[in-house]
Amino acid sequence: MTGRRVEMAALVLVSVAVVAAPLFGSRLIVYYFTITALYASVVIALNLLLGLAGQVSFAQTTFMAIGGYGTALMTVRLGLDPWLSILLAMLLAALAAFVIGRPLLRLRGHYLSMATFALALGTYSFVTAAMALTNGGIGISGIPPLEIADISFAEPRMFYILSWIFCALVLAGYILLAESHIGRAWRALATGQDIAATLGIDVPGFKLMAFVLAAVVASVSGSLYVEFTSFVGPDLYDINIILSLFFMLFIGGRGSTIGPIIGAGIVVIVPQLMSGLERYQNLIFFIILLLLLLIRPAGLFGRMRESVPLAALLPGWLRVSREGRSA
Amino acid sequence: MPAPTATETPADLLQVEQVSVHYGKIVALRKTSFAVGPGSLVLVLGPNGAGKSTLLRALAGSVALRSGRVVLAGKDVGGVPAHQRVKYGIALVPEGRGRLPGLSVKENLDLGWHAAAPARRGAYATAIDEVLALFPPLSERMNQDCSTLSGGEMQMLAIARALLAKPRVLLLDEPSLGLAPKAIARVYEALAQLNATGLAMVLVEQKAVPLPARREATLVLQGGSVVFQQNRRPSADELAELYLGERAA
Repeated sequence: MTGRRVEMAALVLVSVAVVAAPLFGSRLIVYYFTITALYASVVIALNLLLGLAGQVSFAQTTFMAIGGYGTALMTVRLGLDPWLSILLAMLLAALAAFVIGRPLLRLRGHYLSMATFALALGTYSFVTAAMALTNGGIGISGIPPLEIADISFAEPRMFYILSWIFCALVLAGYILLAESHIGRAWRALATGQDIAATLGIDVPGFKLMAFVLAAVVASVSGSLYVEFTSFVGPDLYDINIILSLFFMLFIGGRGSTIGPIIGAGIVVIVPQLMSGLERYQNLIFFIILLLLLLIRPAGLFGRMRESVPLAALLPGWLRVSREGRSA
Repeated sequence: MPAPTATETPADLLQVEQVSVHYGKIVALRKTSFAVGPGSLVLVLGPNGAGKSTLLRALAGSVALRSGRVVLAGKDVGGVPAHQRVKYGIALVPEGRGRLPGLSVKENLDLGWHAAAPARRGAYATAIDEVLALFPPLSERMNQDCSTLSGGEMQMLAIARALLAKPRVLLLDEPSLGLAPKAIARVYEALAQLNATGLAMVLVEQKAVPLPARREATLVLQGGSVVFQQNRRPSADELAELYLGERAA
């Protein structure tokens, strides 16, 4: 399939860029590539949940917050080892996803989206309001860096390697699952829950598995993010981030393999390239996104047949049509 | 008209006893009973909204029973969820051919094979070859997205997928709906072959079907109730009367 070949080519290009960036790139490029890797991991996990299993969940930031605040609180307040804090926060996120996933995932379609959206907004409100625990809007700084023996991940290039190893592991996990019976079961229940059930698929169980896996990845990524910046605050989980994760996925192409990484890269890096536009930066960026999604509704690496020719976007009187005036 | 009786077919594989299904306050199916044995056919006829699909969904476990029992080979499976019930040997070919867009033909078949109880599913290659021998057109489409199939091919795929689950009873929901006459003939040819080799079938259609069976019974549903239940098929006149008619008691 040509779609596969395009994805393979993109994967090779991304790999080359990831290797080249720390060798030839500036500190700033290394910084934004690291951020890209961390968001890409969350988006790959969202892709598993949304692109494969068809469950539109906005709750990824909730589990990022469990990782982020979990690591911050356990290291700064309790003095635990950062690695241990990542592990414990991950277990907590898995448990939370398991407990809230059961009732939430009984909801279908827009109802699930709305419920998880409420959860994500509630998470932001909570970490802003719970001053005693989270320090509110001020956040928690001075999170100690990760270390292995003599290697300190306070060094940006070392953290860069760590973040991309994590991203690669998440991607490998995604590919393995997507190609397995589990991935097939997810895709089946995404389009026909009742049909999937009569084919022996435990629909609630498989949905919950996807939800918990996505939460685990989001939590670890959330922990790594605050380890990278040594700071956690509510802004890391605000509505911009909630929606940006979806932009990343939809630009990249849901259900694709490389899409989430490309999508994350575009959303993280492109606005930085336009910093000269100052206050119009976001406006221009969103216009680009809008055009992109109009031309490729399925995303850059989504299914080709869902793409729309650019000409179709022009108003009728600008189009040269052989069919004359017939619409 | 004779009063409907519970077990007129010589059968004990699947026994449906006094099954009722409600959707909220609406009664979709009222106290339906019948039995089906190996190699026999139960034909369920009735107009739209009569409760035919509800009956099959209740047997497959997609909807919960309000009351009654579904007994398969002596075991009450009425409370077993759909995804486990298929392992007991009840497979459904759903209404609308059970399309799963985005999955290839092969992936659909793989799902069917995985649905069978491990002890019964047999070797993968053999199982796939068996259903492809029954529906040769599918073998040329293995890597195609199933949403690109014709209606007839999709129906073949839905049946093949259900067969891979190694059912003892096959439930079919209007397999002829929306198909060209040629495709209908092809599908029914395969069904006749399966029935002849001993597969029990519960077949839902709106109209009479071109399927000869050695042992068969016909149920006609109207407004959720059984209005005809005999070991013969109703004549066209009878059917018209039943569909349009005064509720026969």
